[in-house]
Amino acid sequence: MKRWLPTVLVGIFAVSLLRSLRVPEARPPFDLNGFGKLPVLQGGRVKPLDTIARASLLMVSGKQALQVEDRSTRASEWLMDVMFRPSRADAYPVFEIDNPDVLGLMGMEQTTNRRYSFLTLQPHLGEIESQATRADAIKPERRSPYQTAILNLQGRITLYQKLQNTLDLERYQFLAQVAEFYPLPLPETGASPTPWVSMGEGILRQMLRGQLHPGVAAYAAMGDAYRESEPSAFNRVLNDYRRWLNTHVPRDTSLAGYEWLFNAVEPFFQSLVMYTVVFVIVCLSWMFWPVSLTRAAFALLILAFAVHTVGLISRMVLQGRPPVTNLYSSAIFVGWAAVLLGIILEGLFRRGIGSAVASAIGFLTLIIAHHLAAQGDTLEMMRAVLDSNFWLATHVVCITIGYSSTFLAGFIAVVYVLRRRFDRLWDEKSAATLEQMVYGVVCFSTFFSFLGTILGGIWADQSWGRFWGWDPKENGALMIVLWNVLILHARWSGFTQPRTIMTMAVFGNVVTALSWFGVNMLGIGLHSYGFMDKAFLWLMVFVASQLAVMGVGVYTGRGR
Amino acid sequence: MSKWKWLLECLASIQLTLYCLALMMVLVFWGTLAQVHMGTFAAQKEIFNSFWVYGTGLFGWRVPVFPGGLTVGALWLVNLLAAFAVRFHFQRKDAGILIAHFGLILLLMGQGLTQMLARESQMPIEVGQSRNYSESPLDMEMAILTTFDPQFDEVVSIPYSMFSREGRVRTPSLPFSLVIKRFYRNARLGMMGPGGTSLATQGIGPRIAIEEIPPSSSDDEINAVSAFVEVLTGDQSLGTWLLSAGLGAPQAVQVEGREYQLSIRPARRYLPFSLTLKEFRHDIYPGTDIPKNFSSLVHLSHPAKQEDRDALIYMNHPLRYEGRTFYQASFGKNDTLSVFQVVENPAWLTPYVSCILVLLGLAVQFLQHLWAFVRQRS
Repeated sequence: MKRWLPTVLVGIFAVSLLRSLRVPEARPPFDLNGFGKLPVLQGGRVKPLDTIARASLLMVSGKQALQVEDRSTRASEWLMDVMFRPSRADAYPVFEIDNPDVLGLMGMEQTTNRRYSFLTLQPHLGEIESQATRADAIKPERRSPYQTAILNLQGRITLYQKLQNTLDLERYQFLAQVAEFYPLPLPETGASPTPWVSMGEGILRQMLRGQLHPGVAAYAAMGDAYRESEPSAFNRVLNDYRRWLNTHVPRDTSLAGYEWLFNAVEPFFQSLVMYTVVFVIVCLSWMFWPVSLTRAAFALLILAFAVHTVGLISRMVLQGRPPVTNLYSSAIFVGWAAVLLGIILEGLFRRGIGSAVASAIGFLTLIIAHHLAAQGDTLEMMRAVLDSNFWLATHVVCITIGYSSTFLAGFIAVVYVLRRRFDRLWDEKSAATLEQMVYGVVCFSTFFSFLGTILGGIWADQSWGRFWGWDPKENGALMIVLWNVLILHARWSGFTQPRTIMTMAVFGNVVTALSWFGVNMLGIGLHSYGFMDKAFLWLMVFVASQLAVMGVGVYTGRGR
Repeated sequence: MSKWKWLLECLASIQLTLYCLALMMVLVFWGTLAQVHMGTFAAQKEIFNSFWVYGTGLFGWRVPVFPGGLTVGALWLVNLLAAFAVRFHFQRKDAGILIAHFGLILLLMGQGLTQMLARESQMPIEVGQSRNYSESPLDMEMAILTTFDPQFDEVVSIPYSMFSREGRVRTPSLPFSLVIKRFYRNARLGMMGPGGTSLATQGIGPRIAIEEIPPSSSDDEINAVSAFVEVLTGDQSLGTWLLSAGLGAPQAVQVEGREYQLSIRPARRYLPFSLTLKEFRHDIYPGTDIPKNFSSLVHLSHPAKQEDRDALIYMNHPLRYEGRTFYQASFGKNDTLSVFQVVENPAWLTPYVSCILVLLGLAVQFLQHLWAFVRQRS
């Protein structure tokens, strides 16, 4: 049985992966999948309605699926209700409100139920808007939690109302301006890329030029069929329209279909689950069946990494960009590169350490990515200064590899410090192996951090004339380089003990985490992404945990 | 061992390297946090571009509390040079270390030169306009402009350090002299209420109420540097004017039948050539307000060098000309105004060279380690 463990384990996960490719049918039998694949333009790029549904539901309610009357409703079904049957959608409890002051403003008490329907909010819309306007006048970093929360709620209400209005045919002239997305492609213009327009503009064009856009008719007919619960009519119109899209805007339609599949498979979630299992198995292997469990963990780690890679490449294909373009994708990539390095270490040393550390970093970074996804579309367009595939592919990738490897060294050092203190089977040979691993990874990390930092300087020199401007993000990168160089020189100096070097490597985690996320929380500098308060708390928890590990490292006596 | 040899070995020691690295880490961390309340520019100046970082001690005295960026950088440079002199072994095995550290010396020297020599200024041009100067909003000058010759204007510029002290300012090339009666590093200007009085007797000054406010170190605010200036011909006073960076137009003074225009304005740096903005483009992604591209089409004209051509300046593609580099920095006035960042940095090439050296050195060194490791395993 033990011999077959790796095969069995990988087999189970491979089957569950294949199952996720099949998406459950919706009840009643409207072709939800086909609807979710319809391409529309939002935020500067063409994407399937499914992406808009998921991102919007996530922003409004903090979740990707919705519980209505004890049954799970998928995001695209919710979107259909919002757009076609607003009276029903308005009663769904979707607005997540945590802040007691915001609830107090509406005369509500804080209860265990954190989600409220649009109908509940409706009487207070005016008050929420005026409070939000006041809060908007204050600089983001000076806002109180209440002000941040009310602005956030106002933003979600606006998004919800825009979604409701986007396909509405009655107030089309007004709607040309306030549509959340543009559903109608204009392939007949022959322009590249194909221009997209709102429903309102589509109707205006029809009135001016007398040509009926098939999308206007299709969305109108789908809306009617959905309201009257006629799935066969709905599916027929949807199919005809999809055929039209396929012939007239083939590239956008097939990309949207691919993105729909990417959303449905959720590769990052799948690898997140597998990383967790790998970590548990490695921990078990330290207690019994060391050989077969280590092998099983390694095999599953490779499968998880393969799925992670597929997800990463899919994002690159969809966006037509190098892997790292925003904070979300940096989390995905930091995890990916760290797991790759961990796999190499495991292949070289076969001690389970590589798998343990790789799965831990993979798990943590994907959790971070999952939470960052709640801020909206993760494939957003690049601002003008950042719009350079060359620099994104070189500078950003090198810096991110620097993060990955510094974390990898740091996590191996954590294992070293903790096992040296608490593991009775600890011996000098294992110690020497881990020291060698950390040294190698720190060298690697020094090279890439330095290269990335320098390339960043060259990019800055090209784009705003300063090779080095002491900008917070630059400083963060510099601190990683300095710390790695410090570790190397401490080792070479010959009068620093290996355990001190390892404790220093743990601090590398703190430096990297601060440079990666702390800098964004300063809310200043040319590179900043935005202010995040909850993340700040978690960052501090992480820093404290690393300092605690360092404490253990310093405390552990010379004898061990 | 002689005393000098001992000192040199101390300076070359790896302990000193560790101290330098640690001090640099502290400085970088501190400097990053300080930017939150001081602003990027002020934090750079006080922490990185200074010999000592000062804090406020007892009795409000400024006491040096920590070595600044220049001190740590210089110490590090000395450490590196000394290591080359006495510690490093010039052998093939150490080639990587030698190359990387030599590159680092160049990098530090280049950064030092940049911090001392580089000048940054801005050049706003509206579509259709021509400019032959750039301005530094962080540095003010008092300008006295004459327009006797219709071909070109003549400007006498008094630097900030000269007019920021109250008292007489010598202006040998002018037929009059100036006395600074009151100087403000920053001020709030408003309309004079009924019953208000002013030191000014001429120009727009008597109608303006002025209130001193603390200078701002924020990067996006310009200090309204202001002064009451008395104009004297010999011992005879022609009156007192209020000049301020917060006032738009210059004010005229008539001396011996000739007109002079006085103003306090961002210091100008004149160029031997001119740029004309022909077109400014600001593209956004469809359906959003996310900028996709900014670009400025300018016409470059340098009569002395027979240069007369168009150039396109856009994101990540600056114009390098005559030792200056023009970057697309900002825009305004409904996309009819384009602002260029103008940088003069004679040391701009050093980081490129030094980085290649450091990377080469690191690669050689680490690949040697890797090779040793692989051989040891097999």
